[in-house]
Amino acid sequence: MVEVHLTGVFPRSEKLIAATRAAVRGNLPKAEVDSVLKHDIDVLVQLQRDSRLDSFVDGQINWQDLFRPFSQLLSGIDPGSLTRWFDNNSFYRKPIIVEKVTLESNDFQQYFRSDLLGKGSHKKAILPGPFTFAHLSENRAYSSLPDLISDLGRALGAIVAALQERGYEYFQFNEPSICAPGRTKAELEITKHAYEACAHGISGKSIIQTYFGDASQVIETLLDYPVDAIGIDFYATSIDSLKEYDFNKVLGCGCVDGRNSLLESPKELTTFVSRVRESLEPVDIHLTPNCDLDFLPEAVAEKKVRLLGETKMLVA
Amino acid sequence: MSGKLFPVEEIGSLPKAPWLLNYLRNADVGPSGFEHLSKWSKISGFENESETRAILAKPKEAAKQARLRELASIFTIRYLESAGLDYVYDGEENRIEMYEHPVRNSGGFEFYGHVRSFDSRYYRKAACVSKVAFRQAYHLDEFLLVKQHAKRQVKVPITGPYTIAEWSFNEYYQKRRAADYNDLRKLKFEAKRDFVMDVAKQIIQPNLKALVDAGAEWIQVDEPALTTKPDEVPFFVDAYNECTAGIPCKLSVHICFSDYQLLYPHILGLKNCSQLALEFANRDDSKRSAYDQLNLLNEFGDKREVGLGVADVHVDDIESPELIKNRIEYASKILGDPARIYVNPDCGLRTRSWDVAYAKLTNIVKGAELARHSIS
Repeated sequence: MVEVHLTGVFPRSEKLIAATRAAVRGNLPKAEVDSVLKHDIDVLVQLQRDSRLDSFVDGQINWQDLFRPFSQLLSGIDPGSLTRWFDNNSFYRKPIIVEKVTLESNDFQQYFRSDLLGKGSHKKAILPGPFTFAHLSENRAYSSLPDLISDLGRALGAIVAALQERGYEYFQFNEPSICAPGRTKAELEITKHAYEACAHGISGKSIIQTYFGDASQVIETLLDYPVDAIGIDFYATSIDSLKEYDFNKVLGCGCVDGRNSLLESPKELTTFVSRVRESLEPVDIHLTPNCDLDFLPEAVAEKKVRLLGETKMLVA
Repeated sequence: MSGKLFPVEEIGSLPKAPWLLNYLRNADVGPSGFEHLSKWSKISGFENESETRAILAKPKEAAKQARLRELASIFTIRYLESAGLDYVYDGEENRIEMYEHPVRNSGGFEFYGHVRSFDSRYYRKAACVSKVAFRQAYHLDEFLLVKQHAKRQVKVPITGPYTIAEWSFNEYYQKRRAADYNDLRKLKFEAKRDFVMDVAKQIIQPNLKALVDAGAEWIQVDEPALTTKPDEVPFFVDAYNECTAGIPCKLSVHICFSDYQLLYPHILGLKNCSQLALEFANRDDSKRSAYDQLNLLNEFGDKREVGLGVADVHVDDIESPELIKNRIEYASKILGDPARIYVNPDCGLRTRSWDVAYAKLTNIVKGAELARHSIS
């Protein structure tokens, strides 16, 4: 049996898109947008239940991008200008680090909707990883990037602790930048320490999710980090390039493409998972999308979740 | 090359006339819509204000809608001409936008819904579900109208094959390569090449031919997505050469908000491209360092014309004629040949107001004139 999990932002429904657009134009009260938003999360939770997923996410449906909530939850961060999100036709607001980063707010409820995930479910929280957070920010406050990575690790650790109290068990740290060229040894070393700070107290599962880049360039380092699982985007990394490493962790097998509407066949995915298992011999496999499903229209993303569930049954 | 130094060219879309938008949406044109029509008719010398006003004053009629669209095009041509541009078009007033327009008018695509651009802004993204196909020359009527009414030279913008493929989901070409499923990275990469090439051959080439047959003398291929995936720049070069081979008119490529280093050396392989129109102004500083990227052309021996972006299209600040002149002079020194320089805004001005766009355009024209006097 493999576990199946979602790994990122889930797209908004057409109804919610229309509602948020109307709200931006001042034509719809916030309460009505919130009502549609809650409905979207309810539908997503039911979808995950129907598809027998092993953890439930809220889809981060009200997040504007991976970093925006943290300009409210953490001190010292302002949202900056629109910047291309890797090699996508989508954009995020570059965080501007204006002063020392620390936990500022305990208002987690608006961004981590554990209240909507259902009693008894295994709740999963998704956060930016400290390396990516630092690399994709404009640093105006710290004398070095490693110092910023270190403080972000501590601040994220404080959030993780608070979320554990709210019942979260799975914690995924998104690290797309860690696969990109330009990383330094000092940054990778301090990032390991940052994970000791932010993942140390996790009693459930901790996951570093890599995507949009070739993980083979950094996998040796990541396998030494204090986390339980490493997620790999197999649309950016070949199986063969990972063969030489002893995969001593759970492998997040990102083989459902969040950036293409083509629906994968559960049968082919099953073959692919078998190949990964035979070639890399990881501790275990989590079957996942390779990235957020937010690059797809909601109707397509829903189908992708359902086929993840179908594949789980086939693999079993 | 043009006989005049620093000719000013349009580069892309303008905001849609508010009275046209309201009419098409069945909304009240309102006093502000009529004021807009009146104001810009006076400034631009638009000769059809009365006819336009008469259509707008009555309830919407299907028969009149097509005529109103034509009038909006003529209105915008006059706007650009009165700003003093040497090469004009119609601001793409009647295109949905640069991606959706060609895709909706071509075969092989299907729209499933919206995807996010940023924050709460979304766009409709199509999936390529079958072999792409030419359905109609989707800019032909538009071009014929512009050609009939323009008093200046005309340049036709058309979205390029790479951008159409990059901004679409690729189902058909990936499914065709299902045998490669064991290496997902390779599968996706090669399927993308197939997709880009087919868009070039099946859609762009017949559109270019239709425009040239109708008398187009200059066509600009827009490729804003070109450097999104650096490994794929060679796809564009092959696709561009495929669709422009034997096309007997001036051809140029517009690229913006990109890292131009990623283009070289691949882009030297473009065989039928006499100009690269590039954006610089939005990233410029007091040292003119944005324009230092022109050294890339020297470094690689690229002797093509440059469409020099001298006005930032994302801010309302109006660049002074002196600043424009300074940017042109700086670029001239780097390239060493002022005759290779055309002048334009960084990109289309569609996100600016009509007032701001006009002020920017007129100052570009004034700045080019100052530079012309200074250098010649």
